[in-house]
Amino acid sequence: MGEYLQFVTIDVWTMIFTWANLIILFLLLKKFLFKPVNKVLDARAEEIENTYKMAAETKSEAESMKGEYEQKMLYAKSEADVIIKSAVEAANRRSDSIVSDANTQARHIMEKSQKQIEQEKKNAIDEAKEDIASMAVDVAEKLIGKKFDESDDEKLISDIIDRI
Amino acid sequence: MNGPKVIFEIPLFGGIKVTESIVNMWIIMAVLVLVSIWLTKGLKVRNPSRKQLVVEKIVTMLNNLVKDNMGNGYLSFAPYIGTLFALSIFGSLSSLMTMRPYTADLSVILSWTIVTFLMIQANNIKHNGVGGWLKSFTQPVAFITPLNIISEIANPISMTFRHFGNIAAGLVITSLVYGGLASLSAAVLAWVPDSFLAAIPIFQVGIPAVLSIYFDLFTSFLQAYIICMLTMVFVQSSGK
Repeated sequence: MGEYLQFVTIDVWTMIFTWANLIILFLLLKKFLFKPVNKVLDARAEEIENTYKMAAETKSEAESMKGEYEQKMLYAKSEADVIIKSAVEAANRRSDSIVSDANTQARHIMEKSQKQIEQEKKNAIDEAKEDIASMAVDVAEKLIGKKFDESDDEKLISDIIDRI
Repeated sequence: MNGPKVIFEIPLFGGIKVTESIVNMWIIMAVLVLVSIWLTKGLKVRNPSRKQLVVEKIVTMLNNLVKDNMGNGYLSFAPYIGTLFALSIFGSLSSLMTMRPYTADLSVILSWTIVTFLMIQANNIKHNGVGGWLKSFTQPVAFITPLNIISEIANPISMTFRHFGNIAAGLVITSLVYGGLASLSAAVLAWVPDSFLAAIPIFQVGIPAVLSIYFDLFTSFLQAYIICMLTMVFVQSSGK
């Protein structure tokens, strides 16, 4: 049978051992439990914080890029409008000038051909007149049997024809 | 009813008696430290293992307990509160493993509450200075200074007897119940001619377990919680 202490007693050595145990366990738990776990928890919190920060940065970057692109697109569109407009204008101008050129040319050709026709007509009439005159002279010569002074007769005959 | 058994004696200063309480505390401490080392092996920031989740939960709960009751400035108290809580609850629960709970030893609990008492005074001095600390005893009026001093000293004593009393009473009641059930078994089995069979304390099977739920599980947890809460609250309020 071993020795027992009293049930309710204050034993100084037990208290000293208890204090020592308390301090030792405190230090050991701090070193082996709290420190490593808190370190991991802090590291995770920091990583999450960093991830959020990075996400926000990326988002703002993307937004600014989007704005930039939108502006560029707007600019490109207006530029395209200007280009199309100027191209249409140039084309219109060119087609106008072509049409007007063609018109002038056509008028020119018409005038020329009109003149030519008139000339031809005149020539034909003149020729016909001459033919008729000479035929008339021939007929008259044959009828009269005398040769007329050519120039006088022809003049005479032309007068007659003109009068017809 | 006996107190803690003396396991061995160190032949120094006229014999240092090392009791059951201290040896059991060493066993609990060794288990706690080894479990801590095992739990915190290979901690990872990403994809924590199930084991890591458990240990993180324990530490976070203790940190939050200290944060909620004492504020962010006292976070360095978390390891101490954790130590106190673990020592108290596993000490009381060690009775389930047929060890004598060292929380049923007055000296052990008194040591803890004296630490709390010293912390309260130290924290008061730290925040208010020696003058402020001395002056705090004369608040709100000078003539209640003796009462203030008594109440300061009464704090650790009441905490000690609360914790010690609950666990020790549980120990006593459990012993009485076992003794009573043994007598009851003997009385009921008196007609059995075989002396060996008649000596089997059949009523000790199962029935004490029901009481054990209250006296061991519930009280252990409650007293561990109370001593930690009171330590936190007293230390925190002394710093105001």
